[in-house]
Amino acid sequence: MTTSTPVVRPSSVCTSASNGQFGGALGPAAFFGALLALALAGPAAGEAHAGSLCAIDDREREVCLDQPAERIAALSPGATELVYAAGAGEKVVAVVAFSDYPPEARDVPSVGSHTRMDMETLVTLNPDLVIGWMTGNPPEQLETIEALGVPVFYIEPRDFEDVSSAIERLALLADTREEGERVAAEFRHGMAALAERYVDAEPVSVFYQVWDEPLMTINDEHLIGKVLTLCGGVNVYGELSRLVPRIDDESVLAADPEAILAGGMGEENRGWLTHWQQYPSLTAVERDNLYFVPPSLIQRPTPRLLEGSRLFCEQLDRARAKR
Amino acid sequence: MTMPRRSLWPPLAVLTLLGLAALLLSVTLGSAALSLADVWALARGEGSPLARTLIFELRIPRSLSAFAVGGLLAVAGALMQVLLRNPLADPYVLGLSGGASVGALAAMLAGLGGAMITGSAFAGAFLSTLLVFGLAHGTGSWTPSRLLLTGVVVAAGWGAVITLMLAISPAERLPGMLYWLMGDLSYSHSPWPPLALLLLICLLLMPLGRSLNVMARGPLQAAALGVNVRPLEWSIYLAASVLTATAVTTAGSIGFVGLVVPHMLRMVLGNDQRLILPACALAGGTLLVLADTLARTLIAPEQLPVGVITALLGVPTFLYLLYRSR
Repeated sequence: MTTSTPVVRPSSVCTSASNGQFGGALGPAAFFGALLALALAGPAAGEAHAGSLCAIDDREREVCLDQPAERIAALSPGATELVYAAGAGEKVVAVVAFSDYPPEARDVPSVGSHTRMDMETLVTLNPDLVIGWMTGNPPEQLETIEALGVPVFYIEPRDFEDVSSAIERLALLADTREEGERVAAEFRHGMAALAERYVDAEPVSVFYQVWDEPLMTINDEHLIGKVLTLCGGVNVYGELSRLVPRIDDESVLAADPEAILAGGMGEENRGWLTHWQQYPSLTAVERDNLYFVPPSLIQRPTPRLLEGSRLFCEQLDRARAKR
Repeated sequence: MTMPRRSLWPPLAVLTLLGLAALLLSVTLGSAALSLADVWALARGEGSPLARTLIFELRIPRSLSAFAVGGLLAVAGALMQVLLRNPLADPYVLGLSGGASVGALAAMLAGLGGAMITGSAFAGAFLSTLLVFGLAHGTGSWTPSRLLLTGVVVAAGWGAVITLMLAISPAERLPGMLYWLMGDLSYSHSPWPPLALLLLICLLLMPLGRSLNVMARGPLQAAALGVNVRPLEWSIYLAASVLTATAVTTAGSIGFVGLVVPHMLRMVLGNDQRLILPACALAGGTLLVLADTLARTLIAPEQLPVGVITALLGVPTFLYLLYRSR
């Protein structure tokens, strides 16, 4: 990986770790221009990349490194989990607040909240690859990082396959492909097995509670909504247009779900569920179908989602058994 | 009441020195430890690449932005207080920051970033200015109290729109929007446009100092003393609007600086606009540079919004000066 042959590549979409060049202007025009350049260059362009590691991020940009990433900054708790899952945990030099899994991640220096990073600390930790969160990190700060010559790989997994693919792409950039591909395949097969098992399951109407004050749920587009669908659940708020709609008790009573699944403030807290017991007429309360799901297993798009999904499916099975 | 005849230069020289000291402090302090010696080495063109990045790419642009924004807000506040003859007037009292905030939040809701947020905020501020001025002008007479009422009501309207936007925005965008509303300098890219504007406006206001002094006593007296009141009022309003809009688009709506800095200076230096306006530019800038330095170092690596610090620094200082004055 040390030989560096001069290659023709679309510099506007490639970030190069060694010389730190980065145009900054990444408009669609540049992107399509780059695609055109690739198309004109033909198959040879693909081979020219052989000397470096390239992966497409979730903003559809190609990020190229001349050397495998050795110092990775993961700017969201989810990204941290994914980098560890990709087998590159030892290379993580910076995380953000709440990066609590795997437990080793707690010992990595933090650069503050994911909504406001301490740029000085980040620069001092000297990362050679930054894993950004498209909708969570402030775009200005990610642009500044790129302007300083550090490549940013944006991730934003929106479905199960995105999780596996993110792990594979991170493993490629960190040159830990063996471990990354194993973990990605495990997750992919696990989710596929669940899908197969529940494809003909009896539908169960479900209300999933994200938060209690204000009362919030998710629609079918949300990753949790997709888990519900996978397990044969029917999200009573699935059709709402917002990803995380705010609702009220009345609409829950009107929808009368067969089961209520809730996260909570902590990993043990079932307090949100007792709230519903004041409505004994609710089918979910009548049949005692109030289930707690540890939020860390279900609210982050990481391999732990498989465990969370199994738990979800088991709880819906229990609800079916009470009919 | 006659204006005390004292030279303008000694206080301004002191404030300039304080400003330079604050800038130097802000450049040497940060979550990454750099000694004064490191900074000196860089000034001589030596030093490590890391220190170079920290100082030249991160700290200096941010500190200069803070200075410019603080200066702009303080001068805008002083102008508004003259225009409205109301001690409670600040740059935001007429709804400018509300308009800018609605513009910026709309851009964030639409998922736009960087320059689009700035442009949209500026458009919002401009719209708010036109709205307030047009409505206050109305069909009747144009008085400060009418302008003030119009502005306050328009500001309340913007406030409602902001709350509505926060309520309907997706959860993941909320932190960024809240930080913007609290005022935050990590957005600022280039410090030069606001700095240039600050310098320009100070130079433009210099020859107007006497007229502004007369204006501060009321339009009738001003007219009697030969000041052309209406055009002067228009230009004050326009100048204050441009200053505020630039400040808000650079760093979000940072409160308190525009209200308190002019008052503090008046208590110490007297109410001579020829002195107060440039002094506001220097003192406002100094206050915000210090506040921003604290905001990014106090609980590093966590970053505080600078608006919190300006109030925490400003309130006790202001109360002390108020208590001490007769």
